[in-house]
Amino acid sequence: MSEDPYADLGVARTASQDEIKKAYKTIAKESHPDLNPGDAGAEARFKAAASAYDLLKDPEKRARFDAGEIDASGQEQPERRFYREYAEGPEATYHTSRGYEDFGNYSDIFADLFGQRARQSGSRQGGFDPRGFRQGAGGQEAHFEMRGPDERYALEVSFLEAAKGATKRITLPTGATLDVKIPEGLADGQTIRLRGKGGAGFGGGPAGDALVLVHVEPHATFRREGEDIHVELPIGLDEAVLGARIEIPTIDGRVALRIPKGATTGQVMRLRGRGIKKGATHGDQLVTLKIVAPPEVDPGLEEFFRRWRETHAYDPRKGVF
Amino acid sequence: MGRFYSRTEIVARVEGLTVAHLETYVAANCVVPCNRDGAPAFTEADLARLQLLTELASDFELDEDAAAMVLGLVDQIHGLRRELRALGEALAEEPEETRARIRSRLGATG
Repeated sequence: MSEDPYADLGVARTASQDEIKKAYKTIAKESHPDLNPGDAGAEARFKAAASAYDLLKDPEKRARFDAGEIDASGQEQPERRFYREYAEGPEATYHTSRGYEDFGNYSDIFADLFGQRARQSGSRQGGFDPRGFRQGAGGQEAHFEMRGPDERYALEVSFLEAAKGATKRITLPTGATLDVKIPEGLADGQTIRLRGKGGAGFGGGPAGDALVLVHVEPHATFRREGEDIHVELPIGLDEAVLGARIEIPTIDGRVALRIPKGATTGQVMRLRGRGIKKGATHGDQLVTLKIVAPPEVDPGLEEFFRRWRETHAYDPRKGVF
Repeated sequence: MGRFYSRTEIVARVEGLTVAHLETYVAANCVVPCNRDGAPAFTEADLARLQLLTELASDFELDEDAAAMVLGLVDQIHGLRRELRALGEALAEEPEETRARIRSRLGATG
């Protein structure tokens, strides 16, 4: 944001509180990022105005700013994500297209092009599928059947359950339970579709689906990137200097890892095939070493390093400046 | 994706949102929470939608029905943008000759 909240709102420093409010509302209306989804500048204008208004709407803060006691920078809004950032992403489920039936001769082209996509996506609208309406035989007695609505469930699974696969149980509104198979390597934010486990159909129509949105909880040790697992591994000073053979955690349990002599912080060791399994291929586990000093520096160690330094001094910060 | 939020958490996080407003928006299908052990669970995207609804209500002085209607139009815009994006991606894979023909056709009707 700029240094000058008055400029962000486009008002004079002498503007009244009412004028400031009005200026903010005008910008908020014109530049709301969610009402201008294709305009990259809208977010910057909106945030600058919101931040400026947050400072100037409070007469006390405004007086302190005017007196130079505080600057505008302390007024940053907390990080905010607008809806448009989700709207076209893979998790988006609210968008809708009401079709192109008014396009005359071209309506078929659009129906052809996009009909397939619409059926594939899990849009939240469209529980009422017009293709589900069927005319009765002879056309006399109109009978319709309609597919039941999809029902959405939220499920939290642990990092390892998602990595290795698991079976979880969810409770339905009826009190019944449903077992959900979590496939090996499931990623955060994926939806599992259980066909026919949603709401009952009408007039003999099929049941809707149960859509289970899965949130994978983060793990204290493992971090996932694609199919690879990242781990930061603390090693002792002695292990770094002398090298060592140690046990480390993987998603499949403990494995042995050889730390080379002279290992250093930031060094990455790759364990092939120890990552997430996807189909026939496996990701890797990447271990980043981090040297941890001993909890206490005893006189012997101190004495050793004093002498060592006299003859072996080196500059670890070469290239930093 | 972020975590799920309970009804209480979402009201605490969205400035200006009350429980009554939330109930109205859920009843109008503006946000469709997931079911988590019988209680509603909201996503980060739901949170952003409720923030937008709340701002439509405060900045534009819309009542909840009008805010819901605007959000419905926004959803249609995103639906159209997705289709337009898909069409653009498909066109980008076409040979230059095809794209040039479409370009001149669009320019002509401009």
